[in-house]
Amino acid sequence: MDPQLVEVSQQFERFKAAFVRKDYDTCSNLLSQLKVSLTKFRSLPPLFENTPNANNELLLAREIYEHAVVLSVKIEDQDAFERDFFQLKPYYTDAGNRLPPSPQEYPILGLNLLRLLVQNRIAEFHTELELLSATALEDRCIKHAVELEQSFMEGAYNRVLSARQTAPHETYVYFMDLLAKTMLLFSSDQELLEYIKDEHPEWEVKNGSVYFQKAKESAPCKEIPSLQLINQTLSYARELERIV
Amino acid sequence: MTQDVEMKEQAAPSNSLTSSSPSTLHHLKEIASLIETGAYAREVRRILRAVRLTMALRKKLKPSVLSAFINFALTPGSEAHTRLSSYLPKEDEHEMEVDTATSASQAPAKHSLPELEIYCYLLVLIFLIDQKKYNEAKACSSASIARLKNLNRRTVDVLAARLYYYYSLCYELTGDLAEIRGNLLALHRIATLRHDELGQETLLNLLLRNYLHYNLYDQAEKLRSKAPRFEAHSNQQFCRYLFYLGKIRTIQLEYTDAKECLLQAARKAPVAALGFRVQCNKWAIIVRLLLGEIPERTVFMQKGMEKALRPYFELTNAVRIGDLELFRSVAEKFSSTFSSDRTHNLIVRLRHNVIRTGLRNISISYSRISLVDVAKKLRLDSVADAESIVAKAIRDGAIDATLDHANGSMLSKETGDIYSTNEPQMAFNSRIAFCLNMHNEAVRALRFPPNSHKEKESAEKRRERQQQEQELAKHIAEEDDDEF
Repeated sequence: MDPQLVEVSQQFERFKAAFVRKDYDTCSNLLSQLKVSLTKFRSLPPLFENTPNANNELLLAREIYEHAVVLSVKIEDQDAFERDFFQLKPYYTDAGNRLPPSPQEYPILGLNLLRLLVQNRIAEFHTELELLSATALEDRCIKHAVELEQSFMEGAYNRVLSARQTAPHETYVYFMDLLAKTMLLFSSDQELLEYIKDEHPEWEVKNGSVYFQKAKESAPCKEIPSLQLINQTLSYARELERIV
Repeated sequence: MTQDVEMKEQAAPSNSLTSSSPSTLHHLKEIASLIETGAYAREVRRILRAVRLTMALRKKLKPSVLSAFINFALTPGSEAHTRLSSYLPKEDEHEMEVDTATSASQAPAKHSLPELEIYCYLLVLIFLIDQKKYNEAKACSSASIARLKNLNRRTVDVLAARLYYYYSLCYELTGDLAEIRGNLLALHRIATLRHDELGQETLLNLLLRNYLHYNLYDQAEKLRSKAPRFEAHSNQQFCRYLFYLGKIRTIQLEYTDAKECLLQAARKAPVAALGFRVQCNKWAIIVRLLLGEIPERTVFMQKGMEKALRPYFELTNAVRIGDLELFRSVAEKFSSTFSSDRTHNLIVRLRHNVIRTGLRNISISYSRISLVDVAKKLRLDSVADAESIVAKAIRDGAIDATLDHANGSMLSKETGDIYSTNEPQMAFNSRIAFCLNMHNEAVRALRFPPNSHKEKESAEKRRERQQQEQELAKHIAEEDDDEF
């Protein structure tokens, strides 16, 4: 065994121990050290050099990044999630044929889909979806995210809410909670009052109920949009003159 | 994705065309002299013509003809000569020797033009692909690409663009497209540095195709948006570009732009490129459905496409009626077609449109309907589902209605008279704008011969020019037929 590899794996063991203890501060510290040491391996992306230990190194690095992704969910840091996920992705796509499949792969991919959904990045959501194979789409975790998106598009919000109970993985709960928040699902009256004060001061609260301002009736426009019509007609005349 | 490949394989069986080899060789020699004059006079146009003439000869290529031509065009014993000869099967030793003898005596060492060398590579490569000798073709194309990197001549660009195309094609046929991605990117960079616009155009398309082959839409879009854009040089390349762009836009939910790209690609593609047009139409149909439009029946009845578009026709029908059950059964029935077209994920997106159409039909037919009935008619699982779906449809403006939560019913509003609004005028305006735009683009696309305004040409010159133009027109028509 390569001494460097041994050192990193020992450090990773310490990280995992801290992770189980839920000591997330230590985890974050250890993780940044781990990431620095990973840069010394030449077999990892983007170099992909074929060193004698390549497979072991790749496996270790993949596991470290998988933990990093999960950790970022635990400490509720979406930016870190995105960074770590993109670092992890090449291990699934480019090194996938060299390594045995990871049991964490589908849960993490599903988690990423969920994140894109929560952040309302639907175009990226679909781009990611195209990369998944038919077997991946059958997976419980990924199906969960895909069905959620469908319910969203249809407007079946009650299904979105009930999906929280059926979350396939403990890490999914964080994003599901974020979803619930965007749908104004509050756990207490107090939260609702705060929300109204911050976001919609024009709403009135009287006798325990909320009064919405009626949207101003848009008066039916009986007028002819003359300026626009003149512009259009003039442009037709100009174009026609060019043709004749 | 494989439309042009399919086309080629269909063309292959007609190889049995019997032609006398001397005349083919003669033609090839004529083309060679055309390339020579083109190279000396630096006229890219002549080389373009040479490539077009070659495509007409494609089906008549035989090993004996090819080796005779190589002997004629390249100095025997040179590196390119030995390499190219090694790819050709030796079948008729005797005839070959005769040819070598005659051509060697006619052809002194003056034939060392790089254009001719590259042209020989192209010929051999096309021959190998047509003979389905993909491994040899891969070796041959890689060698030619290595040679091309050291050549910087504008007159080679046209030939190079063709070589890139076949290089990628033979790797695609063996399923190793990912291997050459780095190489293509390097070539694209070189072409950009050399201001070789045709090369850039071709390579960008090949790269997009390469990425889309592996569903790497993100990378494809990043490359596309950052690569330099300029006016298209080749109609075929432009069609392909539009198709790839349309696909990317579809995946990223920019349906309006996607529809424009796909329809334009289908319209611009030559009539003979049936496979390509079918593919464009399939995608365009789905995009239009996703936009909430229902494609007309004539789209599905285009000549030669009825059978290929059949699954999409039934799908459209299901969306039009708004019947979820029918939609599900159609999606299941043709699931293998849809997944081989890679449209499966898009069809999953369509479910939402089916519900919308169904809901719209209900809101038109009933002025008041209970949510229980809505759920039953749309075959939804629960009343709560129905209520939230109706609420979203109202919010998105798909239907004009109100919800009565207490009584659990949906009240549709009377639809107003659309002709009392500005709507018709707006529709009319967009059509006029389309027509005018089309006219302007057509005017812009007109090409005039250089120097035509400067000097009055003599009668003889004019006759010559007209003859050339006629020939050119004929070849363009032919090229449209066999390029796809």
